[in-house]
Amino acid sequence: MKALSRLFTGFTEGVAGLMMAAIFVTFILQITVRYVVGAEWFVSITGGAIDAADFGWTVELILVLWLWTIFWGNSFVVRDCDHVTFDIIYNSVGRRTRTVFAIIGALILVAALWSSIGPTYDRMKLLRLKSSATLPVKMLPIYSIYFVFLAAVGLRYLWRAVDVARHGVDREPFAPAMEDVAHQEDVK
Amino acid sequence: MSIELLIMVGSLFFLAGIGMPIAYAIIVASMAYMLAAGSSVGLVGKTLVDGVYQSFLLLAVPLFIVAANIMNAGTISDRLLGFCIATVGRFKGGLGHVNVMASLIFSGMSGSAVADAAGIGKIIIDMMRKDGRFPAGYAAAITAASATIGPIIPPSIPMVLYALISNASIGALFLGGILPGLLMGAVLMAMNWWISHRRNFATEEPVPMRELPAVTVRAFPALMMPVILLYGIYGGVTTPTEAAAVAAAYALLLSVFFYRSLKIKTLYTILVDSARSSAAVGIVIGGALILNYIVASENIPSALAAYLVDVNLSPIVFLIAVNLLVLALGCLLDATTIILVIVPLFIPTCNMLGIDLVQFGVVIVVNCMIGLITPPYGILLFVINAVTGIPLRDIIREIVPFLIALIGALLLLILFPGIVLFLPRLFGYDG
Repeated sequence: MKALSRLFTGFTEGVAGLMMAAIFVTFILQITVRYVVGAEWFVSITGGAIDAADFGWTVELILVLWLWTIFWGNSFVVRDCDHVTFDIIYNSVGRRTRTVFAIIGALILVAALWSSIGPTYDRMKLLRLKSSATLPVKMLPIYSIYFVFLAAVGLRYLWRAVDVARHGVDREPFAPAMEDVAHQEDVK
Repeated sequence: MSIELLIMVGSLFFLAGIGMPIAYAIIVASMAYMLAAGSSVGLVGKTLVDGVYQSFLLLAVPLFIVAANIMNAGTISDRLLGFCIATVGRFKGGLGHVNVMASLIFSGMSGSAVADAAGIGKIIIDMMRKDGRFPAGYAAAITAASATIGPIIPPSIPMVLYALISNASIGALFLGGILPGLLMGAVLMAMNWWISHRRNFATEEPVPMRELPAVTVRAFPALMMPVILLYGIYGGVTTPTEAAAVAAAYALLLSVFFYRSLKIKTLYTILVDSARSSAAVGIVIGGALILNYIVASENIPSALAAYLVDVNLSPIVFLIAVNLLVLALGCLLDATTIILVIVPLFIPTCNMLGIDLVQFGVVIVVNCMIGLITPPYGILLFVINAVTGIPLRDIIREIVPFLIALIGALLLLILFPGIVLFLPRLFGYDG
C-alpha cells in the first residue's frame, strides 16, 4: 500500500514537473520561432519549408498546460501546508476545537465540490461542439481537468475528514513521498 | 448590498476562519452566492476555468517562480554576496548593508520576497551571527525588512497580479518599481547605519580596491539579469510574459553551463516545486477571478467610486485612507489575497479621482510587502523563523525601526508620485 502510494505520488509529481518544463520549452520555442524563422539566412537554408505561421498553436498550448498545471497540481501535488490559509483563529484555538473545525471544513468542501459536478457539466457540455482555436481538439477535453479536480479534491478532503476524526488534527494526510531536496540544499 | 452577497461574504469569513484554504473557501462561498441568487452552481466552475484560460499574462507567475528557484539552487547567491561585501562591507554596520544591497540585486532576478528571504537571506543571517557580530534577532529583522524589496524591483509577481486586475501596463509598473525599490534600500541602509553606530556593531575588514574588478567579474553574469529582462520588455523583443521565460532560461544557462552548479535531479525537484507553488497560487488567482466577477456584477466598485466622488474626497485623502486599510489588512491577510480581492474595489475610484494606476499599483505593492513583515501575520517573519530557528519574539522586537523606515518611504511614494512615475514617463508612458 505504501509503495503504491509512493508510486502514485511519484507519477503525479512527474506529470506536474513535465508540464512545467513543457510550458517553459514552448515559450522558448515561441520566441525563437519569431526571431529565427523569418530571418533571411534561415529561409535560405530551409527554402521556406518552415513557416512562422505554423507555430500559432504555441500560445494556446501554453494556456492549456497552465490550466492543467493548476488543477492537476491542486488535485494531486499541492500539500495542505502549501495553500494560502487564514490560520490566525485556527491556530489560536485548542486541539479539540481545531479537530472540529477541520472536520466541518472538510465535509462542507466535499459536499460543495461533489454536488457541483452535475451542474458544472450542464454549463460546460456545449463545449463538446466548440473546437479549440489552434489545437486539434474540442474544448471539453481541455476543460475536463476541472472535473478531475472536483472529484480528486473532494476525495482528498473526505479522506482528511476521516483521518482527522480517527487520529486527530495536525497530521498531514498526503505526506509528500519525495523530500524537498532543493529546499534542503538551500539550507545547507 | 444584496442578501446573496451577504451570504457569500458571511460564508467566506466562516470557512476561511475555520482554516479552509482561502481558494477553496472562495469557491464554496461563490457557490453559496449562486444558489442564493437562483443561478446554477455550475457557473462557478465555468467562470473559474474561463478566467484562468483567458489570462495569458498570468503565465509570468510560474516562470518567475522557476527562475527564482533556479537562482536559489545555484551558487549565484554566493557570488553576489562576495560582490556586496567588497563594495559596502567596509562601512559601519557592514554586513547589515551587505544584506540590504544583496536584496536589492537579488530582487532584480527574482519576483518573490519569500524566495529572497529563504535563499540568500538564510546565508547572510548565518554570516551576521558568526562570532556574535550582530544579535540574531537584528540579523533576522534586517533580512526580513530588506526582502520586501524583492517584488518592488522588477521582475515582480505581485505587480503581474495587479496588472491583471487593473489593466495597467505591466511594463510601466515594472519600470515604476525601480526608484521606489532603491528608495527602500536607502532608508533601510540609513537605519542600519544609525543603529550600528548607537549599538556599536561590527564593520567588515575592507576588501582592497584592486580586488574589486575581479569580484565584479565573478558576479557579472548574475548582475546582467535585470538588464536582459528590461531590455526584452522595453526593446520590444519579448512580451512581459515571454521575458519571464527568458529570465528562467538565462538563470538555467548560468547555473548549468557557466557556474556548473545544477544537477539534473535538482532541476527536476525545482520543476516539481515550481509546479506545486504555481498551482497553489493559481487556484487563489482563479478564486479571486470568480469573486471579482460577482463583485463586479453587483456593481460594488462603481457604487463605491460614485459615493466617494460624491462626498468630495480629495485624491490624497483617498490614497492615505486606502493605504491605512491595506496596512491594517496586511497584518492579517496574505499579499496575494489583498491584491486580487481587495484592491479591485478601488480601481474605478482611482480612475474617477484621476489617480494614476501605475502609481497606485506600485504604492499598493510596496504597502503589501510591508504587510509581509508586520506581526502577527507576516509570512517573511515565519519563513525566517522556520529556516534559521531564531525566535519570532526576537525578530519582531528588532523589526520595529525598519518597519518605521519603510512606512516613511511609503508615505514619500504617496505624496510624491514623481518617484514612481519618473522612469515610466522617461520611457514614454503618458500618465
